[in-house]
Amino acid sequence: MSIRTRMTVVLAGAGALALLASCAPAPVAPGEVSGTLTVLDWAGYDAPDFWIDFQTTYPNATVNFEIGASDADIYSKMAAGDQADIFHPYTGWLQFYVDEGLVEEIDTSALTNWDQVPDSFKAIGQINGRQYFIPWDWGFTSVLYRTDMVPTGVDSWAALFDPAYAGHISMWDDGPGAVTISSYVHGYDETAITAEQLEAIKQEWIAQRDLNLFYWAGEPELIDAMAGGDVWVAYAWQGAYATLLGQGIPVAYANPSEGRNSWVGVYGIRKGTTNLDLAQRFLDAKLAPATGNNVVNLFYYGHANQAVMSGITDATLVDAFSVNDPGVLERTNFTPNLTADQRDAWTGMWAEVKAAP
Amino acid sequence: MLDRRPTFWALTLPPLVWLGAFFLTPLAMMAAFSTRPDLRGRLMDPWVPSLHQYEVLLSVPSYGRLLAISAGLAFVVALCATVLAYPVAYYLAFRKGRRTGTLLILLLLPFWTSYLLRVTAWKFILGSSGVLNSLLLYLGWIREPIEALLYNRQAVAITLVYVWIPFAALPILAALQRLDPSLLEAAADLGAPPVRRFLRIVLPLSLPGVLGTFFMVFIPTVGEYVTPLLVGGSRGSLYGNIIQDFFTKAANWPFGSALSMVMLVTTLALLAVAVRVVDLRRFIE
Repeated sequence: MSIRTRMTVVLAGAGALALLASCAPAPVAPGEVSGTLTVLDWAGYDAPDFWIDFQTTYPNATVNFEIGASDADIYSKMAAGDQADIFHPYTGWLQFYVDEGLVEEIDTSALTNWDQVPDSFKAIGQINGRQYFIPWDWGFTSVLYRTDMVPTGVDSWAALFDPAYAGHISMWDDGPGAVTISSYVHGYDETAITAEQLEAIKQEWIAQRDLNLFYWAGEPELIDAMAGGDVWVAYAWQGAYATLLGQGIPVAYANPSEGRNSWVGVYGIRKGTTNLDLAQRFLDAKLAPATGNNVVNLFYYGHANQAVMSGITDATLVDAFSVNDPGVLERTNFTPNLTADQRDAWTGMWAEVKAAP
Repeated sequence: MLDRRPTFWALTLPPLVWLGAFFLTPLAMMAAFSTRPDLRGRLMDPWVPSLHQYEVLLSVPSYGRLLAISAGLAFVVALCATVLAYPVAYYLAFRKGRRTGTLLILLLLPFWTSYLLRVTAWKFILGSSGVLNSLLLYLGWIREPIEALLYNRQAVAITLVYVWIPFAALPILAALQRLDPSLLEAAADLGAPPVRRFLRIVLPLSLPGVLGTFFMVFIPTVGEYVTPLLVGGSRGSLYGNIIQDFFTKAANWPFGSALSMVMLVTTLALLAVAVRVVDLRRFIE
């Protein structure tokens, strides 16, 4: 190796080091950190309550929000070249971001709150063995029902297909969600649904449509219909349960024999962002306690920070998270990641259900 | 003679550029996306065009059937809105007095509220514990709330007709206002009774406005998706909802694009047939 090439290598090494140093959160006083971050999030999550730690720690940084309507919408936007630095998908919709090279690996050593995240949650943000996402909010899906209208109670997901509640059932408007429920009811392997099973699932939901009042798209719509007494039995997240309990409506959240479903919301950083440092700081602040407490107390969802969860004392929330009943969590089914083929087949199946004669 | 060309282009170019950028380009992109085999890979990466999406579309008969239902519903809605808007326009055009301006403002008043809000209002009117049911229960005409009022296609049709009536009245009003009153006076002098004057003079002369109104309501209603989402219930989905689902719930833009192209071609074909049948040009000339 000549002196010249050796110099080049040394220089290149120094350059790489400098580059690395610029990527890692440099020892800058938080108050001096500035810049603009764009976050692609769901409606409601743009409220400062849900990123309060970032706001108070970095008063000179600006955060802009773009709103996505659904997981599919957020994914389509990112795939179409949206320039948001950070985005917020949910379990089931993570694999494609990695497959299509849309997400940056996260440097967890830079996250001061990372130790507060249980390993089981960390694992949800790992794809192909790497940490591409940080877990943030989580919750259950189960059957929510009016105890005055359904005095016998609900002990199975099959309640959504029970003719006794005809005209008073409401399912979430979502194909993969429908496949999940049918899989629980019939004991199918959700990760390996065959074409025949999918056809049977389609027929089952076409028949269910006559019992179903409407497919809900947003939680407020479902909450109104259950509070008003039009809907007695519904596919629901526990946020709706806690809200209705808070309103004094007689509702219960089933523990189906097939197990509840659980979902986790994660944050990812867009590959190629020029705001990597600020984005990492944002994610770290997202895991901080004040933000976490707001998620729990304002949205009634769980937070990835263990300390936040163990601090819950409100009786309604203890009930909503089944904090006192560890058996519920043990029997919970976590949402597996969809493949692109499953995504197309299951959403197509759902469109055919809605279009059926 | 003065060269009018610069003026012509100065006036024509901005709308042409606008239409090109925000109508023709997206339309061409949609047509192109409909030939994508799937949405794998980057959106703008080149792909081998295929008719795969159209094959899938044709293999599912319920999509075509739903398009027919949507067109049928749009026909009924356009017909009802036009028929109901006619008397409104007629009143404003002929029974005008000092109050015409006020009445016109009243007619357009609903537009000051958001469309979503107006549609949601129907949920409060038609719902099982809504205004209509409460009234009927109070009057003792029914014992149980009627649940069939909301969450079906009839509710979609009722809401859409309501939403369209004020819009529909405007082109008819414009046509009626152009009518020369001396024609009516002459007819009256010659002894034609009011009904005959209406059928022989007013109606034929206002037909261009009536047909314009019909198509103005029909075309956007074929692809309507917001109203069915709010008041349609499980069985009230229209073709537009399926298109929307493939874009926002399925991340399947190619199939959504193919569905849109089929709707576009079908609507144009229906229009072409309609123009033939009613011989639109005769009225316009």
